Amino acid sequence: MRTVKISDSFLPSSVRKRVTPRTLVGIGVLWLTLCFIVPIVFLLYESLNFGEGHLLANYEQALAWTYINVLGRTFVYALVTTILTLILGYLTAYYIAFKSSRPMVLLALVLLPLWVAIIIRFFGVRLFFLQSGPVQQLFGTDFGILFSRNGVVLGLISALLPFAVLPMYNSLRAIDDDLINASRTLGAGQFQTLRSVILPLSFSGIVAATLFVFILAAGSYLAPSIMGGPANNMMANIIADTQSYSIPLASAMAVVFTGLLLILVGLFNHFANVSEVLGDL
Amino acid sequence: MLEVTGLTKTYGSLLAVDDLSFKLEQGEFATLLGPSGCGKSTTLHAIAGLREATAGTVYLRGEDVTDVPTNERNIGFVFQHSALFPHMTAKENITYGLKMQEFTGRDHDEQAEHFLEMVELGDHGDHKPTELSGGQQRRLSLARALAYEPDILLLDEPLTGLDRVLRETMRNEIKKIQREVDVTTLHVTHDQAEALSMSDRVIVMNDGQKEQEGPAKELYRNPQTEFVAEFVGKSTKFTGTAASPSAGGDGDGQVVAANATAVNVGDLQIHAAAAGGAADERLSLYVRPEEIDVHETPGGGDAVNSFSATVNHIEYLGHRNEIEATLEDGTNVTAYGDAAVDVEIGDEVTIQFDPEDVIVL
Repeated sequence: MRTVKISDSFLPSSVRKRVTPRTLVGIGVLWLTLCFIVPIVFLLYESLNFGEGHLLANYEQALAWTYINVLGRTFVYALVTTILTLILGYLTAYYIAFKSSRPMVLLALVLLPLWVAIIIRFFGVRLFFLQSGPVQQLFGTDFGILFSRNGVVLGLISALLPFAVLPMYNSLRAIDDDLINASRTLGAGQFQTLRSVILPLSFSGIVAATLFVFILAAGSYLAPSIMGGPANNMMANIIADTQSYSIPLASAMAVVFTGLLLILVGLFNHFANVSEVLGDL
Repeated sequence: MLEVTGLTKTYGSLLAVDDLSFKLEQGEFATLLGPSGCGKSTTLHAIAGLREATAGTVYLRGEDVTDVPTNERNIGFVFQHSALFPHMTAKENITYGLKMQEFTGRDHDEQAEHFLEMVELGDHGDHKPTELSGGQQRRLSLARALAYEPDILLLDEPLTGLDRVLRETMRNEIKKIQREVDVTTLHVTHDQAEALSMSDRVIVMNDGQKEQEGPAKELYRNPQTEFVAEFVGKSTKFTGTAASPSAGGDGDGQVVAANATAVNVGDLQIHAAAAGGAADERLSLYVRPEEIDVHETPGGGDAVNSFSATVNHIEYLGHRNEIEATLEDGTNVTAYGDAAVDVEIGDEVTIQFDPEDVIVL
């Protein structure tokens, strides 16, 4: 069996001989099992009702009208966030990849917010729009941002933008300059080149960005609780609240939510061929 | 058809193209030949409008197009590595150009088919570029650049990265198609064999400047500068000082004609039929390998430009041998020997060449 070569000075040869690819995979599998698969199995188990009544009684409750309402809101918010973040992210990535003279600096600026905890960034955005904040001082209105749907979406966009810019920047930068030049010599203007050459060739980045942003937005807990009001709760908030008094019900809600998310990703996969894209990453 | 005047391009303090001017007639095939970094590619990109010139004017069809964007210049451009659109089929690559240029001469589908046939890709219209071989990709790239009948075809080292045999076939094919379509063509290469074999006219560039321009034969036979003599074709170089004719002939007892030159190269004296400079002027002499005869008998000879030498390298080329021999003063001479000449490394031979064949610069 082939052994993995680990830096010669790093480990004694007796250890080195025993470190095989299987060992390395094993660590990952163990980690996933303990921290991901086991909890999900517990979750499934907890969500079932083994006491009085129907086995799926918790699911009946989880699919009650109010919760369905939140579920719908969650996906609508996630969808709106994804669309806006993609547009903004694509423009940013396009500028950095093709128009900027110092792309590395701009890219660092895009990533910089990730160094600050999301909760602090949300408070920052909120401060901006508060009564005493600059926006209200200047315009006399918060533009309906505070404690509203708009606030949640704005918060999510600002938090998730780097996750959209990075993959799209990567796929844009991978486009050979000569392909763009070729399009120009063939008579295409800037817009035509963007539409017929750049957009299709950066498709894999757009798909990756869509997945990142949508999944992260749908599962967001902090944005609705800090930027939104009680009417803007999303699924994660409801599950967390429920969990404080009924773990079985919260588990059933979590299963329904995750299941729906998987179905949506599956549908997306069907149309955008995600496996091909993720294979490229 | 194409005229470039005073073209200059600087990158910071680097002068890439320095006041370059030249002209192409309708239907002509010209090549910009020069080593990498000589500014030939920059010139081509400036003509295409892909790079902005610092100074100078580009005229196409007699119009000043210096400030016209690339997509409105109606040019065909073949890129170094094809630059085919990977997400389009071979045919779509061609129809894209037809659509963008709003080609009206013929139905786009028919025109695309016609050009696919022309480059022998008739059966490959539905293939993606990655499914084509290197040579097929280059041919498709050529078809794409020609299909909308541009006023001028620009070729930027279109054969880079192909193996030698394929390069040679592609040369002929490009030339054949160019003649068939009768399109004015400007080709850029660092490969002198490519330049000499394809072009009606070659413009040799060095350090951003034009060294010399003319038909291939002219450049090879009458180079005007040392750079051209050394860059175009193989040759043996001698450097020395002109001997003074009035000093009473030379060491070999030969009489030097009035407009001929005798040059002292170390202990040797080389005679050239062409006029050289005044006495003691430093001169460079070049002799092409096919003009040098190798005799199996050692010891030099009484004839003019006849020296003894030691063979140090032989390359067998089938129809002839390329022989490298060292003269007594250490100069290496490259000669093409007849396959019948039977010499081996280390043999003493006599090399001899005609004063008529000595290029004096």
